[in-house]
Amino acid sequence: MKAAAFNYARAASVDEAVQMLVRGGGGAKLLAGGQSLLPALNLRLMSLDLLVDITGIAALRGIRVEGGTLKIGAMTRHADLLTSPEIAAHAPLLAKAIAHVAHPAIRNRGTIGGNLAHADPASELPACMLALGATLVIQGPSGQRRVQAADFFLGLYQTALAPDEILIAIELPALASGERAFFHEYARRMGDYAIVGLAAQGKPAGDRIDALRLVYFGVGERAGSCPAAARILQQRHSPAILAEAQAALAADLQPQNDHQASAAMRLHLARTLLARCVNELLGRAEASA
Amino acid sequence: MTMQAIGKPHSRVDGRAKVTGGARYAAEFNQPDQLYAVVVGSTVGLGRILRIDAGAVAQMPGVRAVISHLNAPRLAYQPHKGGTDPANGERLHVLQDDQVRFYGQPVAVIVADSLDHAERAAAALAVSYAGETPVVDPLDAKVQPVAPQAGRAGADRSRGDADAAFAAAPVTVEASFDMARENHTPMEPHATIAAWSGDRLTLWSKSQFVVNEQAEIAAIFGMPAANVQVICPFVGGGFGTSLRTWPHVTLAAIAARQVGRPVKLVLTRRQMFHTTGHRPRTLQRVALGATTDGRLTSLIHEGSGETSRYEQFVEALTSTSGFMYSCPNVRTRYRLLPMDTGTPTFMRGPGEASGMYAVESAIDELSYKLGIDPVELRRRNEPAIDEAEKLPFSSRSLMQCYALGAERFGWASRDPRPRAMRDGRLLIGWGVASASYPCFFSPASARVRLLADGSAEVEAASSDMGPGTYTSMTQVAAETLSLPLDKVRFSLGRSDFPATPSHGGSQTMSSVGSAVRAACLAVQAELAKRAVADRRSQLFGASIDSVEWREGRLSRKGDAAAGPSYSELVTGAGGSPVEAGASAARDAAIAKQYSMHAFGAVFVEVSVDPDLGLVRLRRAVGAYGAGRIVNPKLATSQCIGGMVGGLGMALMERTALDPRDGRPVNAHMGDYLVPVNLDVPHLEAHFVEEQDPHVNPLGVKGLGEVALVGMAPAIANAVFHATGKRVRELPIRIENLLDV
Repeated sequence: MKAAAFNYARAASVDEAVQMLVRGGGGAKLLAGGQSLLPALNLRLMSLDLLVDITGIAALRGIRVEGGTLKIGAMTRHADLLTSPEIAAHAPLLAKAIAHVAHPAIRNRGTIGGNLAHADPASELPACMLALGATLVIQGPSGQRRVQAADFFLGLYQTALAPDEILIAIELPALASGERAFFHEYARRMGDYAIVGLAAQGKPAGDRIDALRLVYFGVGERAGSCPAAARILQQRHSPAILAEAQAALAADLQPQNDHQASAAMRLHLARTLLARCVNELLGRAEASA
Repeated sequence: MTMQAIGKPHSRVDGRAKVTGGARYAAEFNQPDQLYAVVVGSTVGLGRILRIDAGAVAQMPGVRAVISHLNAPRLAYQPHKGGTDPANGERLHVLQDDQVRFYGQPVAVIVADSLDHAERAAAALAVSYAGETPVVDPLDAKVQPVAPQAGRAGADRSRGDADAAFAAAPVTVEASFDMARENHTPMEPHATIAAWSGDRLTLWSKSQFVVNEQAEIAAIFGMPAANVQVICPFVGGGFGTSLRTWPHVTLAAIAARQVGRPVKLVLTRRQMFHTTGHRPRTLQRVALGATTDGRLTSLIHEGSGETSRYEQFVEALTSTSGFMYSCPNVRTRYRLLPMDTGTPTFMRGPGEASGMYAVESAIDELSYKLGIDPVELRRRNEPAIDEAEKLPFSSRSLMQCYALGAERFGWASRDPRPRAMRDGRLLIGWGVASASYPCFFSPASARVRLLADGSAEVEAASSDMGPGTYTSMTQVAAETLSLPLDKVRFSLGRSDFPATPSHGGSQTMSSVGSAVRAACLAVQAELAKRAVADRRSQLFGASIDSVEWREGRLSRKGDAAAGPSYSELVTGAGGSPVEAGASAARDAAIAKQYSMHAFGAVFVEVSVDPDLGLVRLRRAVGAYGAGRIVNPKLATSQCIGGMVGGLGMALMERTALDPRDGRPVNAHMGDYLVPVNLDVPHLEAHFVEEQDPHVNPLGVKGLGEVALVGMAPAIANAVFHATGKRVRELPIRIENLLDV
């Protein structure tokens, strides 16, 4: 199929793109990497009046470290993140996750900003943003604002972005000394969307994990933090504590049935991933739980 | 003969055309003034159409016709049974009544001046039904099994007393297996462009069997077959789904006649799950009895497969069970489960792939019970003859396949204990299984023309869905005529070319190849006849028996001097092309003397993540005894393709039906999982040397099916070796392995 007819405009700057969105009045959409938007248009799952192409705005690309903060331009492509030494050094969770984002052809085109603005519940990157405590920098007609990741992802394909706003950058606190990252996901077929995945970061201290952030994806209608389970795991590690945390996932996640997997299977996988995460963060032997 | 075109790893002669877009597929034969048709499928799984609100849709932009049973022509539907049609039952008569027999059955077709307009109108067409709940689950108590009334399966056979022997056996295995429905999911969708010129119809249509499509459409419309021309030079993957002529072909022809213009009809991916056949879900039971030293004393194989209410689709589910192993007591039983579904059809390795999954899994179970290596167990039960038919094999290299495969795989270093092999956290399993598929050889014809420039044109109806028919037939002609490959042009895919059997059943190389060879010999004979009768020829007056062809030149026997070439002979005879046709068929006496099958042994390694139940194939080695290999490069490619198909069957492919209405819920490539590149590890295909003078003049056995057959049981057996858990359903999914 082909997309329904739409107008196309190429923005030279963020300001110009915002103006175009304002004029588009809700019928305009941004073209970043196009890896979700264009299939949706071609399958006629959506239609629009104006496509605002921001791929030419060089200022939106790039990765740099300022103080203790990693700043990533929204139009930075997955492939660039995957090979970036800055990402590997300061946000290893992101580097681990990007390797699971679809296939190389998609990673060559897809952008981090496009991915986050799309807010697919099975996508890896929103979960990483939550686990890393990211700040999202947004520009609109009345200037810039900053939104915490926890306030950005509102639901199924829903974000805090207004129709005339652009996500221009992502700011991540650089990995602190002693922090460790864990990432794993399960898909029936390589490269497919996960039916359960876990992004986590925390600071192992002896046999406890401090400042643990556990974020599951592919389980519910958006990436889901698990504060109850994380709190339990701040206690000294023991099989009982792990079991308690695993039990808490049911309330934290409230997984759903769908044709990909039953809620019970999702919960089983989530609990298995938690055990693996705890073992890895604590540097324990890779015994299965 | 110095050419040796046969046996060389030539690249595809049509490769450049395929990768540059020069190869034209059915939907690319756009015609002047063409309109577009879109099928509207039933949204209930059983029932009756109450009302079709065509009036509103007919007024929509660009709509030229809304055709349903209310206004479609009553078609002749004369009796026609093609070689790929079920012998029992009657095909779906499309738009002829108000009955809905299965979900997605075509109930209307919209014709419009653009695809967009046709799709929009199709989506808007309101159809109301008196719906009933269909029966779509083989385990439903309402399903009544029936014995197939005809077919090649030889369904219920018995020798000795298998049940008594099983009861008395010191070691037994008894197990039941459930294999999911699969759809073929080729890259190219089904597509037909239909154009009428008076009472003549041309169909550019995706088909693995153009001469049957011609005959069938002629029968449906009650017209002479000579008035129908079917053209299909390229097929973008078939796997069996384009062997039959499905309702959309008839719909395209109806639509084109109704609007008086050419009409293009392409099925959507979703519609490819409705009316174009599928591998039936099968339920099977295998019971084996053996002595403690591993000699089979009883083999019982019972199976049933789904079919539709209006046709009996019969496949070879139990047909290998009589000859794979030496066993005095064997009983097979095969039943059909008629349900409210479209008729299943042949899918790569039809019957053998499903049946051998069950039997080869059970043999593996037996090997653990006996504590005998599974390869050794098969060696101990290797038969000297086909004990079912009581005939010698024309050739059987199964044990050589095992020897070659085991060596290439490194089987000797396997730790036989389940869960004994590991790679870090991952459990590693090695599994093995046998494969077999019959060597068919159906009557086929071909035509060869020698041109004044010394080149040859070769034609046969046939098809090339990917194995490399263009290339292999070019090789056969080049070899037979002693011409370089680039002096031979082979054409296929037209119903007015000499008739050939279906491009399925692994019989194209044997049947069409033998016909091409025969036609090459016939044109040489024709040319020789003319040369000895031509006063201007240096061979004038020689008796036809005293001349011979040597490296493309006609010489007197015993005369070392090179005689005239094709070019000189054709030019000398006036320059007009010299043509001859010929047919080839199996000698009926040979078929009564030998049991003819290809064999293979498949070795695989899987890893299983014990926490997640995640199975990955890590490597596979297939060794095949398939007679003469015409082109090792293409044969290897074909085998790897078959192994990937078997990987899909083992771990991914599964058409899930909504129990309420029979709707295939995962009818798209996002949710109907076929392996992607990342799922496919290093695969190796090897061929044992095998010379079989009986199967056909070329000594080829066919590869397409046997390459898929052993893969799924080998993987299932490897999963057991890795985990110690025997999963007896396919595909093996995470749900099956959560407790390992």
